[in-house]
Amino acid sequence: MIKSDEEFDNRGQKITFLGAILFTLVGAYLIFLFSLQVINGSEYKNRATLVSQRTTTIQAKRGEIFDRNADLPLVLNVDSFAISLNPALVPKELLPGVFQKLSAALGIEYAEIEKKVPTSVYSVYQAIEIRSGISLEVVSYIAERIQDFPGVTWESKPIRSYVETGSISHVLGYVGNITQDELQVLYNQGYSLKSILGKSGLEKQYDLFLRGKDGTRFRTVDVKGRNVDSDVRMEIPPELGKDLVLTIDQKIQKLAEKALGPRMGSVVILKPATGEILALVSYPFFDPNKFYTSEANKEFNRLTTDPQYPFLNRAIQSTYPPASTFKIIMSAAILGEKVYDPMTYLLCTGKFELGDRTFKDHVQYGHGPVNLAAALAESCNIYYYTMGQKYLGVDRITEYARKFGLGQATGIDLPNEVEGLVPTPKWKERNLNYPWLGGDTVNISIGQGYLAVTPIQMANVVSMVVNDGKVYRPHLIKEIRNPVTGQAEEEIRPELLYDVQFNDKVLSELRDDMRGVIVHGTAKEVMLQRAVKIAGKTGTGEDGAKGSSNHSWFVAYGPYDDVPNQDKIVVVVQVEKGNEWEWWAPKAADLIFQGVFANQTYEEVVESLHPWYLKDQ
Amino acid sequence: MEKSKSIFSIDLVLLLSTIALMLIGVLFIYSSGANSPHPFEEKRFEYIRQIVWMTLGIILLIVFSLADYNILKEMSFYIYIFFMVILLLTLFFGKVVNGSKSWFGFLGFGIQPSEFSKIATILFLARFCHDNRSRLKEIQYFLLALTIILVPMALILRQPDLGTALVFIPVFLVITFLAGARPRHLFFLLLTLSLVIFLTIATAYAVNKGTAEDSIFDLFVDYYLFGIVSLSLLIIGVLGFFGFRKYKVQVFYWITYFSTILLVSFAATFALRFVLKGYQISRLILFLDPSIDPKGDGWNLTQAITAVGSGGFWGKGFLQGTQSQNKFVPMQSTDFIFSIVAEEWGFIGGLIIFGLFSLILLRSLSIMSQVKDKFAIYTIGGILGMFFTHVFVNIGMTMGIMPITGIPLHFLSYGGSSLIAGALAIGIVLNIHQRRFRV
Repeated sequence: MIKSDEEFDNRGQKITFLGAILFTLVGAYLIFLFSLQVINGSEYKNRATLVSQRTTTIQAKRGEIFDRNADLPLVLNVDSFAISLNPALVPKELLPGVFQKLSAALGIEYAEIEKKVPTSVYSVYQAIEIRSGISLEVVSYIAERIQDFPGVTWESKPIRSYVETGSISHVLGYVGNITQDELQVLYNQGYSLKSILGKSGLEKQYDLFLRGKDGTRFRTVDVKGRNVDSDVRMEIPPELGKDLVLTIDQKIQKLAEKALGPRMGSVVILKPATGEILALVSYPFFDPNKFYTSEANKEFNRLTTDPQYPFLNRAIQSTYPPASTFKIIMSAAILGEKVYDPMTYLLCTGKFELGDRTFKDHVQYGHGPVNLAAALAESCNIYYYTMGQKYLGVDRITEYARKFGLGQATGIDLPNEVEGLVPTPKWKERNLNYPWLGGDTVNISIGQGYLAVTPIQMANVVSMVVNDGKVYRPHLIKEIRNPVTGQAEEEIRPELLYDVQFNDKVLSELRDDMRGVIVHGTAKEVMLQRAVKIAGKTGTGEDGAKGSSNHSWFVAYGPYDDVPNQDKIVVVVQVEKGNEWEWWAPKAADLIFQGVFANQTYEEVVESLHPWYLKDQ
Repeated sequence: MEKSKSIFSIDLVLLLSTIALMLIGVLFIYSSGANSPHPFEEKRFEYIRQIVWMTLGIILLIVFSLADYNILKEMSFYIYIFFMVILLLTLFFGKVVNGSKSWFGFLGFGIQPSEFSKIATILFLARFCHDNRSRLKEIQYFLLALTIILVPMALILRQPDLGTALVFIPVFLVITFLAGARPRHLFFLLLTLSLVIFLTIATAYAVNKGTAEDSIFDLFVDYYLFGIVSLSLLIIGVLGFFGFRKYKVQVFYWITYFSTILLVSFAATFALRFVLKGYQISRLILFLDPSIDPKGDGWNLTQAITAVGSGGFWGKGFLQGTQSQNKFVPMQSTDFIFSIVAEEWGFIGGLIIFGLFSLILLRSLSIMSQVKDKFAIYTIGGILGMFFTHVFVNIGMTMGIMPITGIPLHFLSYGGSSLIAGALAIGIVLNIHQRRFRV
């Protein structure tokens, strides 16, 4: 095992032994080096590329939104900058001074900067965004005094600018940074932690079109993540977001917005022949531009705690009892089911007795003898109580209500539409644990009780009457455009939602009766405009006490004349109870019809009509 | 012989190999600092300093090759004592760099005395072995020789600089082996040292992975267990010793021999767990699993290995190494200089480095076989031991097969002390070469 001591006394042997050990080791190291570099080299090469290449996203420009004439931009992207601070580039003792100057230049609290750049990151080589939405002026101010702002950088970060605010905000919606929850759902659709996405309205509904496709920039970085300068930069260019052209006519939208005025409620104006929505107003509304300022959080808190729910798009997200506007559907049922001769008169005494309950008309001593046309024109409750309770029955009423699209979403291209409710005896037993009573049928006959509809559904009801049983899906997008060429890439075709076959003459009779409402009925008093002949139905929510707690409805279409359906429009105005009671819905609709058909602005309408009810204003 | 005095008798291969290594070093120190992000960062100018040191080193090399090495031989004791004092002073007045108090400043210069103390120790140990070569087979003299290296080792360990301290052991083994120490003594030392290193690393690894308690390495964690095992080894050793005294049977000798190896290495392993600081232990085991410390030294190691591996056969080209130029490899101009050579010049670069060191080895061995003076043979042997320990440990660390000990690669690594100490050593070899025929 161990050589004897004498054996190694020979010098030459010892030197050879020493040399042999060292050369063997050198050889072994070279073999190992060869296997590392040549045999396994490619694996390490991949690893080296991986570790030194980073990717950054190049944000795609979000699509812009235009109104139906494609001349007025409603939403744009504005150049704006984000100011960042890289604390590692600033000597620690100078940081408070830089904070101070940034606070003054950007107009934010010193403490807020301190919160964004805590002591723990002072030596981290990473730009921390201090604030976005900075104007070019502020950036130039900083750039000119860059020696006072060590470590401060800026980058272009376009923000959404809503050129038109007001009621259109409910339609357009707004964008914001993606949340963790949203990312979990949307990850597979190509969203990332840095995505900005639509939070409501069309921005949300058409986000996939608007957002385009972010590009990628590959860059080589060093160990601290700093860019390593090199001329060759790989890039996958971003794909621009598509532009949207709305069916909304901004002039009509403004007109409707002003006609509704500062009253909680909504207006829907659409073309029954196609389902194109010309205006969709909901009051109150919000100003999304404020979400991209330093006041964003405050504004958000104010809006979400506002008891008037300004984020609610009342035209599609609020339900109300349809009140007397439901009598349109009742009339269609009476005519369609032929349960009572429309020409036969029924005596309205102002009272309808059912068991021990007495239901009253809004005219204390009754309308006297009324036939169907008169009942609709005068909105005689007693007539419809009788028809509903004695001749139609709850099943046929609800069948017709559903035929007209109540209780079902219209499928408008906006998120979070609600369905409303058409109550049935089964529904009541299941949900309220109480049997359906005769009184319930009486209530539903005049659109009260558990019946709940959205204004957009009522617009569809009128559309069906105008359009001979056909209802097209209400929609807001006319076409999706290529932002570069301006060519339409996709045109939205009208989509038939309902096609109900009524017995002949049912709908034409109904149209005549609705014309009666305007000419000699409940709406006569307030109809001032002579620009177009219209037909419609008023509605007054009579749930609860009289006075200020009435909903006010007016559903109508025009022209009543025998013109192509293409030229007709449907107008639905709903004003919530809680507003000062002034029976505003028919008045607003009157102003709208004048504006649309005389091609006038709201101000011009007021000028030309001199409405008596606005005299004192 | 008159011829040997001539300047032309200088060993050109040895000299040129050394200068070539130094130039490659300057080249890659330049490369490692060339792309520093800050234009005035110190790293950018490291190569200029290295050129200054290289020049100084070559001048000293020439000076040392000209003056008679006999002066060194005669003065070796005083040189040794001088550097031991400096090492001692360094412990008190030294400057802390990279966690160890290894820098000593005087007259505005800063040096690492440990680098020079290696040469001083080699000279004195060679002198001691030369003077006592007939008695070196005796255990007393062998232990006395061992003391010569234990003094600087202890002082350097205190800094603490484990890597540099360990270099003394191969130096000692080579010199005493050449001087005719008994193989059983050398084997004892070699086996003990290997066991200590193996057990220390294996125990630390087991502790880190949480498996120590169920394994044999619990021995160095559990006081009680360690006590029992040590005591039994001690008893076996003592019994063997008396058995050998009484019966003169070889078996008893070897029983004592091996039980002492085990006892000493066990005790040293156990003691090292208290001497070594946590970061030192973790650096020792990182090469087994860099993910133990994925952000610190483990990261460094992974990046260095990646740099070497991605170099391929021909390399990425000078100044083109992505890992190196983008600063993924830390301490690249000093400890990890080989990684940038291997990345940018590939396997060919590695071949050149090993080739140049092999030329130095070949020439040194050749001089050793020609020289009559025993002191000269031992000195060259010690110098080879020093150089190649650095080569294998440093390059092995870069390739991930040796623990991270932070010892430089002579001539290539950035740093004046190791460069000049290396130059002095080569100067001494050249000096011996010129006087090789002197008896």
